Amino acid sequence: MNKFFAAPLLAAAFAVAGVSAASAQAQMTRNEVISSLAGTAATVGRFDPIALEQAAAKAAASGGEDAVSRVSDSLSKLPQLSVEINFDLNSGQIKPESYYAVGLIADAMATPSLMGQRFAVVGHTDATGPREFNFKLSQKRARSVAEALITTFNVPVDELIAIGVGEEQLQDPANPKAAINRRVQIINIGH
Amino acid sequence: MKIKSIYAVAAVCFMSLAMTAGAQAQQTMGYADAVRTLANACGADINKYCSSATLANFGITNCLVENTGKVSASCTATVATVTAAIEARTAAQKAAPQLCERDARQFCANIKGGNRFVLQCLLKAERRVGKACNNAITAAGWR
Repeated sequence: MNKFFAAPLLAAAFAVAGVSAASAQAQMTRNEVISSLAGTAATVGRFDPIALEQAAAKAAASGGEDAVSRVSDSLSKLPQLSVEINFDLNSGQIKPESYYAVGLIADAMATPSLMGQRFAVVGHTDATGPREFNFKLSQKRARSVAEALITTFNVPVDELIAIGVGEEQLQDPANPKAAINRRVQIINIGH
Repeated sequence: MKIKSIYAVAAVCFMSLAMTAGAQAQQTMGYADAVRTLANACGADINKYCSSATLANFGITNCLVENTGKVSASCTATVATVTAAIEARTAAQKAAPQLCERDARQFCANIKGGNRFVLQCLLKAERRVGKACNNAITAAGWR
């Protein structure tokens, strides 16, 4: 077998195009990622990602174009990081300008501050398009980020769980189609 | 004159030592830096040959390796360097707890909860911790 297929190496690069779109993200440092995600016994362990995804699935299945309200009020209290990860349109394919951000998260997770902790990767969309479509798309995107972290970036598989919540947990409910709503949240869920 | 030349030899020796130490510290690399390094060396080749490759499952580097011969020589060389640097970091992360065992017993004996808390303690105790352990922590990319 070719050495490059077997080794736990990285596989990533920015493509040349689109780097400017990620400039804000590129300024994020690893230690900022760590301080956002570092938890204490008091703040972690209070969140059930599966239950959240089920609530979002149920809400999305009620149909229509627009979510009525958020499915969780307690999410914002947990140690977390919202990352702008860009994907191809209606796809789970991560755009090259976001590879750096995914690498940074992996580096942070390998430090003593975060190693051995578990994290939920939560995919969100904005409110453009049907709710159910958005729910499935967000699942696909969250899984895509988790898969990249686990395979290429060597994060232990038992440290990640990927869920989607579609447009059911908008960051900015007053502007449901705003870009800020399209994000991937990383939430520390404890040991 | 003789004295001057001795100084000169000493200076050269010191410089080469310093450079060796520097080179050793640079041999390991994290994923984010690796992404950036590869982007600079291989961005054009990735756009040209690997535009449908995925980030997961080593998709990009696999594609670059599959296209060896077509991609630029500097990209191919960078893939090898970066891969080695990442493997070195992963190895350093695995080796650090053992290399720091004595320091951990000496400076962090009361720390409970497992390796990660001991390592955090050793990070804080940098000034007192021995060179081998400190080097291991640096190579692991934990500072």
